[in-house]
Amino acid sequence: MTDSELDKKLNAARSPELEPDYAADFSRQVFAGIRALPVEKTAGRNSPANLWRRQIALGFSFAMFFLVAGFFIGHWHTKDEMLRVEKAVTPRHDLLADVKMINETLALFPNRVRAIVQNGHDGMQLVLADQPDVPNSPPLFVKICDGTNCSSLVTFSGQELEIAGQKITVLADGSGGIILEGRKFVWDNQSPNTLPDGLKIEAKNLTLRKL
Amino acid sequence: MVETDDEQLLVTHSRNGDHAAFEALIKSHQTMIHALTFRMTGSTADARDLAQETFVRAYQQLDSFHGTSKFSSWLYRIAVNACLDWRRREKRRLMLHTNWSDAQANANSPTEPANDLDDLSRDVQAALLKLPEKQRAAITLTVYGGKNHAEAAEILDCSETTISWRIFSARRKLKKILSAKNVKIKGGSND
Repeated sequence: MTDSELDKKLNAARSPELEPDYAADFSRQVFAGIRALPVEKTAGRNSPANLWRRQIALGFSFAMFFLVAGFFIGHWHTKDEMLRVEKAVTPRHDLLADVKMINETLALFPNRVRAIVQNGHDGMQLVLADQPDVPNSPPLFVKICDGTNCSSLVTFSGQELEIAGQKITVLADGSGGIILEGRKFVWDNQSPNTLPDGLKIEAKNLTLRKL
Repeated sequence: MVETDDEQLLVTHSRNGDHAAFEALIKSHQTMIHALTFRMTGSTADARDLAQETFVRAYQQLDSFHGTSKFSSWLYRIAVNACLDWRRREKRRLMLHTNWSDAQANANSPTEPANDLDDLSRDVQAALLKLPEKQRAAITLTVYGGKNHAEAAEILDCSETTISWRIFSARRKLKKILSAKNVKIKGGSND
């Protein structure tokens, strides 16, 4: 069967028509379903219940902001000390080894982490979305070397990032296939091809064991 | 279907408790949502329940619609999730039956047929029901919902590549099933 033959059959297939009486009455049934819900589930935006929820959410957001700011300030100030400690514990300081850090970061910013980037030995950089709209998908490990420096990162399918001076889109098909698309190249982990400018790429699906 | 700007206005009024505005949104989209829930379940009765559930959930979640996508896409997402939840509940219900014969009877009971459909429509629907749910959702959205791959990916909360793979796999399976069934189109010929 050809594609157009399949399309003809699919398009010719109908779904049941709605009887006029049913269609006319449907919205009444929906409102009956809404009225049957507990009150707080249908409360308006400015109801007392929602107002105090918003206040608590605001307070929690401030607390989280100061917590995260404190975390990063502390990280920068004690970076040298931490590097000494980390080198002793994790002689090969790369993203793959810091599974705990990755899990904690993803839990701290649900659906907002676009990438966790490591540039050489400069430390970690967190790329966050403005809204919690990063879809849940399996994490991907990507390493790009431009001949001078290497960047390693953990990211997700669909993300557009600037890495090693290149604007790159990362795509995964869920079956192990990963594609990186840049302005001047397309790289596929299942059939790697020649890359421009001495670029080298490594990419694979990442398994994060829950700790 | 109403224009997008009018829809945004209706959503705003609905959020403020204007039932007439929400009713207008229901009437604009009830046909497409019923069609989707029927494609996903194969049962008229379940499709109607899920269509109602979709609009109730939509009313509850109106605050989460920010206008960054079409209202129809947002509504489709709610409907697809309702259908996937329904499927999980059905599977769990069958598994929890302690009486083996009850479980067998339920597993074998046919879904309520849509009696007003022609043979082609029934066969295509039966073929759709043989697809994994997410492939079925991808096909339904793109073939019957008029969504492109990017819109379907947004609705199903996955990448465009994943949608392309799902549609490719679904079409391959449908070709196999419908070829074996030797489905005729009125006035057309067999393959």
